[in-house]
Amino acid sequence: MSGLTKILIILLTLASIFLCGIVVTYVANAGNYRDKYTTQRTQHDALSRKVSGLNKQLDEKIKQKDELEKKLNDQIAALKIQTDELQVGLKSAQREKAKLEEKVNSWVTVVESFTATAKDKQALLDKTLEELNTLKQQQIKDRKQLAEANTALVEKMAIIETLDTEKKRLVEEKSDLQNRMDKLLQSGGRVAAVSAPVTPQRGIARPAEPLGVNIALKGLISGVDLKNSWASISIGSADGVKQGMRFHVTRGSDFICDLLIIDVDTDKALGVLELVQQPPKVGDNVSTNL
Amino acid sequence: MVSNAPARAGKPMARSNLYTVILALAFGVVLATTIFVAYKCYFQYGTLFKIP
Repeated sequence: MSGLTKILIILLTLASIFLCGIVVTYVANAGNYRDKYTTQRTQHDALSRKVSGLNKQLDEKIKQKDELEKKLNDQIAALKIQTDELQVGLKSAQREKAKLEEKVNSWVTVVESFTATAKDKQALLDKTLEELNTLKQQQIKDRKQLAEANTALVEKMAIIETLDTEKKRLVEEKSDLQNRMDKLLQSGGRVAAVSAPVTPQRGIARPAEPLGVNIALKGLISGVDLKNSWASISIGSADGVKQGMRFHVTRGSDFICDLLIIDVDTDKALGVLELVQQPPKVGDNVSTNL
Repeated sequence: MVSNAPARAGKPMARSNLYTVILALAFGVVLATTIFVAYKCYFQYGTLFKIP
C-alpha cells in the first residue's frame, strides 16, 4: 500500500467522521416539523372556523345595526319634528309672555294711578265728611232756629188775625163815622176832605244787592301730569284757594280746560283737569272768573 | 494485528489491517449515521424519501 493511499484513507476517515458528526448533530437538534405543521394546521382550521363564525356574527350584527340605525333615524326625524313644533310653541309662548308682561306693566301703572287717585279721593271724602258733619250740626242749629221761627210765626199769625179783626172793626167804625160826618157836613155844604195817611209813604222797589261777589283769583300753571290728568298752580291757601274751587285755564284768548282743586297747600294747589280742549302747559294762566 | 510479512504467492493478503480497520471505522460511522438519520426520519415523518 502506498503512502498516498494511506493518507487518503486517513483523510477519508476523518472527513467521514466530521461530516457524520455534523449530520448527527443537525438531525438530533432539528425540530419535529410535522408536529409543528399539524399543530399549526389545527390552529389554522380552528381559527378559520372561528373567523367564519365571527363573520356570521358580524353579518348579523351589521343587520341589527342597520335595523337599529333605521329605527334611530326614524326616531331622530320624529324628534326633530317634535323639536320644531316645540320651538314654534316656545316662540309663540314667548310672544304671549311679552304681551302679558306689557299688559301687567300697564295694569301696574293703572293700579298705581288708581291707588293714588283713591288716596286723593279718600282724603277728599274725609274732608267732605267733615264738612257734612259741620253742615249737619249747622242743620240741627237751623232746625232749632226754624222751630223757634215757626213758633214766632204762629204767634205773629195769631197777632195778625187779631189785628185783622181789629181792622175790620175799625173799618166798620170808619164807615159809620164817615156816614155820620157826611150827614153833618152835607147840611153845611161841605164834603169830607181826602184823608192823608198818617204813616210815611214807602218808596219804590229797588233791586237788592247781589248776594255773590267774584273771587277773582289769578295764577299760573306750575306743573302738568297729563298721564294722570293732574296739574298744579302757583297759588295756594295763602291766596284764598280752597278745595272744590274750579279754575279756568286760558292761553291768551283760548280756553284750554278747567281745573278742579282737590288738594291745597299754602303756596300751591293740585287739581284734576276737566273739559280739556288742549293739553295745558306750564305758564298758562288760571283764574276763577273768565 | 498489523502483519509485515510478505504476501504469499497466488493469494493477495494485506500486509497490515490498520488501514482496513480505519476504513471499517469510517464505514461504520457512516452506517451509524445513516441508520440514525433513517430512524429519525421514519419515526418523525413516517417516510424515508417522500415529503409528508
